[in-house]
Amino acid sequence: MLFPTVDFALFFVLVFVGHWLLNHRLPVWKWFMIGASYVFYAWWDWRFVPLLAGVSAITQLGALAVSRTPVGRARRWVLGFACATILAPLAYFKYYGFLSLTVTNSLGSLGLSSPFPLAQVLLPVGISFFTFMAISYVVDVYRGETRVSTALDVFLYLSFFPHLVAGPIVRPNELIPQLEVRRDPRHIDVAGGAWLILGGLFKKIVISSFLAAQIVDPVFGDPARHSALDTLFAIWGYAVVIYADFSGYTDIAIGVARLLGFEFPRNFDRPYSARSIQEFWRRWHMTLSRWLRDYLYIPLGGSRRGERRTYVNVMLTMVLGGLWHGAAWTFVVWGALHGGYLAAGRLVRARREAGRLPTPTETPARVWLQRSVAFHLVCLGWVFFRADSLATAGTLLGRLLNGWAEPTILVTPGVVLAIGLTLALQFAPSAPAGYLKSRLAGLRPVPMGLAFAFMLFTITAMGPRGVAPFIYFQF
Amino acid sequence: MTETTHETRDEERPGWAIGPGRPGMPAGRALVVMLVTLLVWTILYAPRMREAAEAHPLGARRTASLIALAPFTALSDAVRITGVTDSLERAVGLDPDAPPGGSIVLPPPDPLPPVTVSPSPAPPTDAPPVETLEPIRTPARRDKLRVVVVGDSLAAGVGYIAGRVFRPTLVDIQQHGRVSTGLARPDYFDWFAAMGQIVHGYDPDLVIVMLGENDLQSLQTPSGKLETPSGTPEWPLAYQERAEALMRIATEGGARVVWIGLPVQREPRRWNSIRRQNRLFEEASTRVGDVAYLDSWGLFDAPDGGYTAFYHDGRRVEEVRAPDGLHFTSTGYEILVREAAALATEDFGLDPIVYSK
Repeated sequence: MLFPTVDFALFFVLVFVGHWLLNHRLPVWKWFMIGASYVFYAWWDWRFVPLLAGVSAITQLGALAVSRTPVGRARRWVLGFACATILAPLAYFKYYGFLSLTVTNSLGSLGLSSPFPLAQVLLPVGISFFTFMAISYVVDVYRGETRVSTALDVFLYLSFFPHLVAGPIVRPNELIPQLEVRRDPRHIDVAGGAWLILGGLFKKIVISSFLAAQIVDPVFGDPARHSALDTLFAIWGYAVVIYADFSGYTDIAIGVARLLGFEFPRNFDRPYSARSIQEFWRRWHMTLSRWLRDYLYIPLGGSRRGERRTYVNVMLTMVLGGLWHGAAWTFVVWGALHGGYLAAGRLVRARREAGRLPTPTETPARVWLQRSVAFHLVCLGWVFFRADSLATAGTLLGRLLNGWAEPTILVTPGVVLAIGLTLALQFAPSAPAGYLKSRLAGLRPVPMGLAFAFMLFTITAMGPRGVAPFIYFQF
Repeated sequence: MTETTHETRDEERPGWAIGPGRPGMPAGRALVVMLVTLLVWTILYAPRMREAAEAHPLGARRTASLIALAPFTALSDAVRITGVTDSLERAVGLDPDAPPGGSIVLPPPDPLPPVTVSPSPAPPTDAPPVETLEPIRTPARRDKLRVVVVGDSLAAGVGYIAGRVFRPTLVDIQQHGRVSTGLARPDYFDWFAAMGQIVHGYDPDLVIVMLGENDLQSLQTPSGKLETPSGTPEWPLAYQERAEALMRIATEGGARVVWIGLPVQREPRRWNSIRRQNRLFEEASTRVGDVAYLDSWGLFDAPDGGYTAFYHDGRRVEEVRAPDGLHFTSTGYEILVREAAALATEDFGLDPIVYSK
């Protein structure tokens, strides 16, 4: 079930009523919410419902086993086995097809047959997100950062529909305590929740869909036929598309959760205003960044095992983060680029701290230069992230060098406005939006509903007829 | 209500979590906000939702949607909401008068001799097909070959990849793949009128057509009137006549046509229908001159004639079908476009220099 659909609107009204009616009877409410979340998930493909339930069951069994094993080597082995078991479905669904094809071709070139039968494996929606949250839970139990919850809480923690298909990746100690206490039905932040939902819809329906259709898809689909300026705007356009699409989704998810009385962590904080790649990753997909830090980078040793090993860990974390997006060289290059950026940034900082490099004076011009460089380094990564092959990415980057004599046909005022507006909003003060939100919050229910209806109507009227699924559903 | 009052009440009910929305409103009022929002939005947006519902194939779902929308559309029509929607669309650069499936936008016209084409489906004739004997002209850098790709979402994929396969220095490509379109519903998108517009405004040398995926439904007229119900004995002939009419419009200006048949899908329930459609396309192509039919089913099927996502070119295995079991991967589209180009070379003398093999 896609968020920006009538199906979801009707589903949510029913869930909202059921949620607040049953809120005072927690066990019944939990069963109701698990049922609603599984209906939400089954709407995509009911065949994957047992998978979600199975991962939830394995997660709880793994957490119980970890908690009952004495501290020591045995406990680490139990944790490793639990994590491997949780990861196994993700590994199969995500990488088996690639593996079987690669092995078949490699052995085929030697005249041998592959032991792995070829199969096109369909990726269950949201599998990465609930797998990551499952690992968070088991590892946090191991670390003593969270206690073992009831099976009901774990099933709901993993399946809770606002975050189920594309995050944010909520940690156990952020959500499970909220599941254990009744939500307050007297103080629902309707204005705040609706503001997030409408903002997310605007980003997705108006900005992302428009730019994708107008310039990004044509240029990335057939880069050799577009001028350098078209190509440059398509790359900037994709930076905006993926931001508007993904942050739009999580805004809606956070807003929906807020209407049910739950608070999710922020996932984006004006990422293109970052002055370095390190800062970018503190602002972009923040819940994935901290997941990679806490459950991959730190277990690899983090920065505790010497300078050289730190760089290796940074690189390894980012390359694995790239591979998580899909089994393709384009994602490996994307991850390696970001790993390289982060390692280079760390090296420069270390040299400055050691006095081996001068620390430049902070000026407004320098700040904007840093922002511009960081944004374009991120854009270079996005070229590989979006391109369907390394060859396509190469053609696209080549056009930036040799396509300046050709006419520009896709850079329209609408495209410039959509890109410019989204980037400008990264630097806009939050006070005007806060003021508008507070004025809305002061309205009585009917005028507030009318205001939201007109805003929703404007968004849907400005959008295309039919909206594509969110980009991050495929991961 | 003041925040102080909220705090007092929270203290009175210690079992409740202090939610993120302390200064918010009670659940009942929040429900009123949601219902008012959805109700008013439905009235405002009803005309567009009616258009979307009408685009669905005739059947229970379409009928139920239209019945459910009827009171809202009646209300919005009565207060002339459509005018507001249209103004808003115009304000953001959209065309509210465009047909539901969109419209064709062509590049600025070259100084070409005008081509006369039929504005609507030309009646099929029993006259034998007339083949043009001359090969497709060899292009030059200043006088590129004009290739156009038309059809549904499969054609959209073909169009993008055709841009990569045909050499940009020698071939200009116009991509007109339109999602959810076909021959059955000219009320949603009129391919006959669009093809006339393309032939008249662009004068293509080669037209690549791939459509039919959305056509397993009743045939309607451009005004939305039911013409031939789905499942009747008349449907195949009427559908073949439409395919033939489109081929005649496409070739009227002297263009050659490669008509790509539908590929096998993962869902076996549709195989018989697709095979029937492909037979109709192929038969139509034999009745019209300058049309070559490409059997994509035979190109991508498994050894047993069924579905496979993989293609063996004799050396390597490639994944050619998208996860939906219907569309293609980039590699699959590339194979399809190369086969279409090779067929144009074989049947129409297309110079192989214009595409990469």
